[in-house]
Amino acid sequence: MTMTTNALPESAPPERKPAAPPARPVNAKRKRRFGSQAATGWLFMAPFAILFIVVFVVPIGVSIRSALFAQKPAGDGLYGGGEIVDTFVGFDNFALALGSDVFWLGMGRVTLYALFQIPVMIVAALGLALLLDSFLVRRPTVFRLAFFLPYAIPGVIAAMMWLYLYTPEVSPFMQLLPEGTDLMGPGTVLLSMSNMTTWTYTGYNMLIFLAALQTVPRELYEAARLDGASGWQIAMKIKVPLVRSAALLAVLLSIIGTVQLFNEPVVMEAANPWMGKAYTPMMLTYNSMMGAISPSGTGPASAYSLLMAAIAGALAIVYALLQRRKGASA
Amino acid sequence: MTSRTRFARFTAVTAVAAISAFGLAACSSGGSANSNGDAVEIEYLHRLPDGEGMTPVNEIVDRWNEENPDIQVKATKFDGAATDMILKLETDVKAGKASCLAQLGYSEVPQMFVKGLVEDVADEAAKYADDFSEGAYAMMTVGDAVVGLPQDTGPLVYYYNDTAFKELGLSVPATLEELGTHAATAAAAGKYAAAFTPDEALSWLSAQSAAAGDVWFGSTDDGWTVETEGPGSQKVAAFWQGLVDNKQTLVTERWGEGFTQALNDGALIGHVGAAWEAGFLLDSLDGTPAEGQWRVAQLPDFGAGAVTGPDGGSGVAVMKGCEHPAEAMKFNAWFNTQTDDLASQGLVIAANGTPETSEKMLRQFGGQDVLAELATASANLNPDFVYAPGFASLTKMNETASNVAGGSATVADIFTTAGTTALETLEDLGLPTNK
Repeated sequence: MTMTTNALPESAPPERKPAAPPARPVNAKRKRRFGSQAATGWLFMAPFAILFIVVFVVPIGVSIRSALFAQKPAGDGLYGGGEIVDTFVGFDNFALALGSDVFWLGMGRVTLYALFQIPVMIVAALGLALLLDSFLVRRPTVFRLAFFLPYAIPGVIAAMMWLYLYTPEVSPFMQLLPEGTDLMGPGTVLLSMSNMTTWTYTGYNMLIFLAALQTVPRELYEAARLDGASGWQIAMKIKVPLVRSAALLAVLLSIIGTVQLFNEPVVMEAANPWMGKAYTPMMLTYNSMMGAISPSGTGPASAYSLLMAAIAGALAIVYALLQRRKGASA
Repeated sequence: MTSRTRFARFTAVTAVAAISAFGLAACSSGGSANSNGDAVEIEYLHRLPDGEGMTPVNEIVDRWNEENPDIQVKATKFDGAATDMILKLETDVKAGKASCLAQLGYSEVPQMFVKGLVEDVADEAAKYADDFSEGAYAMMTVGDAVVGLPQDTGPLVYYYNDTAFKELGLSVPATLEELGTHAATAAAAGKYAAAFTPDEALSWLSAQSAAAGDVWFGSTDDGWTVETEGPGSQKVAAFWQGLVDNKQTLVTERWGEGFTQALNDGALIGHVGAAWEAGFLLDSLDGTPAEGQWRVAQLPDFGAGAVTGPDGGSGVAVMKGCEHPAEAMKFNAWFNTQTDDLASQGLVIAANGTPETSEKMLRQFGGQDVLAELATASANLNPDFVYAPGFASLTKMNETASNVAGGSATVADIFTTAGTTALETLEDLGLPTNK
C-alpha cells in the first residue's frame, strides 16, 4: 500500500471534502501534492463538466443570444427583398414577452392547474408510498412497478390515449355519464388534463417518497411500537416528517413540470381548437417558433422560454424558502 | 490496487464519455459526398404518403436515376407534420446543408421566400411553365420570383351520398342557396348535407371565400392590403351561420371521431371538402353497404360562377444554397409530370393532363371518373387568390371557429379574426402594409 492510495480512499477523494481541518497548515510539498490531486479531481469532473457545458450552458447561451435578436427583412417591397437579417434589438423581445397578454393568460392557466393538480398528486403519491412501505402490502415490488408504469408510457401517446377516453364517440365510459357531459370544454379541460398528468406522475413521485422512506432506520419503528404507537401513528408521526425533503424535491419538480405543461394541451388542442395555440406558455413558445403565432421567430420564442425558466426558478426558490422556514419553526 | 491502474481505468472511462459526447455532436454534420465522379447529386425532401397500393416515390425516382446517370436524385420522406418540416428546412438552410428540393405547401411559399429560404429560379421555371395549370404555377410565384414548380392542387369540391340524395329527392346542388335548402331537407330527415369543421377553418373558409370571388391579399404602392371580410366572405358567413343556428349542419372537427362516425352511420350525406380528401374520405365505408354510394361534384356556385378556392396543395421548391438549381429543376419538372404515379399517391396533380382514376376510387365512387371531375375543379381555381407571408398565423381562425359551435362567436367573427391577425402578422414581419 502506498501513500497515494491512502490519500485516495475507496469511496470519495478528499477534494470532495474541502473543509477537512487538518489541511490548514500548508507547506510547499503539500501544495504540490494538492496540485496533482486537483488535476485528478478535474479529470473526475470532466465527463460531467463536458456534458454540462454541451447540453446545458451552450444551449442557454444560444437562447440568450437569440432572444436579443429579431429576424427582419433585409430589403423593401412586399416580400422584404427575399432575405432576412438578424438584427440586434436589445431587450425588445423580453419587453414583448413581459407585455404579452397571451403569455400571462397562459401562465394564469398553468397556475390554476398547479394549485389543484400538485397537491392532489403529491398526497396520492405519499399515500401510495406509505402503503407500500407498510406491512399491509404483500408484494410491494409488483405494485411499485404497476404504479410506476404510466410514467414509462411516452407522454404524447398517453395524452392521445386519454383523448380517446374523453371523446364521447369512442370513449368506453362516457355513455355512462350524464348526457352532454363535455370533458374537454372550457370549464373542464384543465381538470381533465390534471387527471392525465396525475395518472402519469403519481407513480414517479411515489418512487421519490419510497426511496426516502427506505432510508429511515427501522429501529425507529421498533422503538415507536414498543412505546405503543399504532401503524397509523408511525406513518403520520415518524414517516411523514422524515420524508419532508423528498416532498420538497417532488413539489419542485412538479412546479417546473407544470410551468412547462406541453404534451397534454397540444394533443387536446388538436381535437379542441377553441383552446388556441397559446393555451399554455410552452405552447405559445413553440407556436411562436413555428410561425403559427405572430410575432414569430427564434427571438420571441427564446424570450418566452427564458421568461418561463425565470418564473419556474423563482417559484421553486419561493417554495423552498417557505419549506425551510416551516421546517425551522417546527 | 495501485493508483496508476485506477488512474488508467478512470482515463479510459473519461475518454469513452468524451468520445460519446463529441460523437453525438458529430452526428449532425452529415455530408453529401459525390459518390460517382461527374454525376450531380440532388436531394429531395418530401412528405408524400407512400401508402399501400401507391407507386412509391423511390420507385419513380429510381426510374429517373436510370435514365439520367448525370443527375442522381435521392428522395427522402419526412415523417412529420408540415410545420416541423418547415422548421427542419429553416435549420438546414442556416447550417448550409438543406436538401436541394423540398415539398412546400402553397400557403407557406411566401413566408419561406421572405425568410430567404428558397431560391429564385424564375428563368429555369419558365422553361416548364406550359406543362402546368396556370393557377397552380401562380402558387409557386412570389412577386417576380418563381421558387419551384407546383405538384398538386386542393380545389374545394362537393362530396355527396348519391343514394341518400335520391331517397330524399335531392339533386346535386348547383348553387350555395340550393345547398342551403338541401341541408334543411336533409336535417328534417335527421341527416346532414354538409359539415362545419372548425379545425379546418383556416384553409377551408379562406378557400370558400375565394370560391365566392374574394381575394384576401393585394398590394398598392404602400404595401400589402388585407381584405378578408369582402362580399364573398359575408355570403359564406351568412350561409354557415344559418346552418349552424338552425342545426342543419353537423358541427364537428374534421379530424375528430365525430366526423368519421357520422359518415359511417349515414348521418353525414354531403361534405364540402378539398379534392385531396377523395383519396381517403370513404375508406371507412369499405365493405359496408354504403360502399360505392358516394360521388364527387363541382362546388356549388358560391356567387362567382364556376369558381372554386384553394384548400391546400403543394409544390416542390428549390431551397437556398442548392448548388445545381438547373439540374434540380429538370428533375422537378419531370417528377411533377409523372401524372399516373403521382395520382396513385392520392394527389390532384398540378401538371396538365388527366391521369387514370384508380381501381380504389372507381370502387368507392361507384365507377365515377373521379380524377376527371377533380381536374375540372382544379381548372376552376380562383386565379387571383394568393397567399401573403405569415399565412400560417391565421390558424387563429380555427380558435374562433371552434367558438361558433358554443355560440360565443359568429361565423363572421372568423373572417374578422383572419383580417386582424393577417395585418398584425405582416407588421410583425416588418413588411409594408397599407391599412
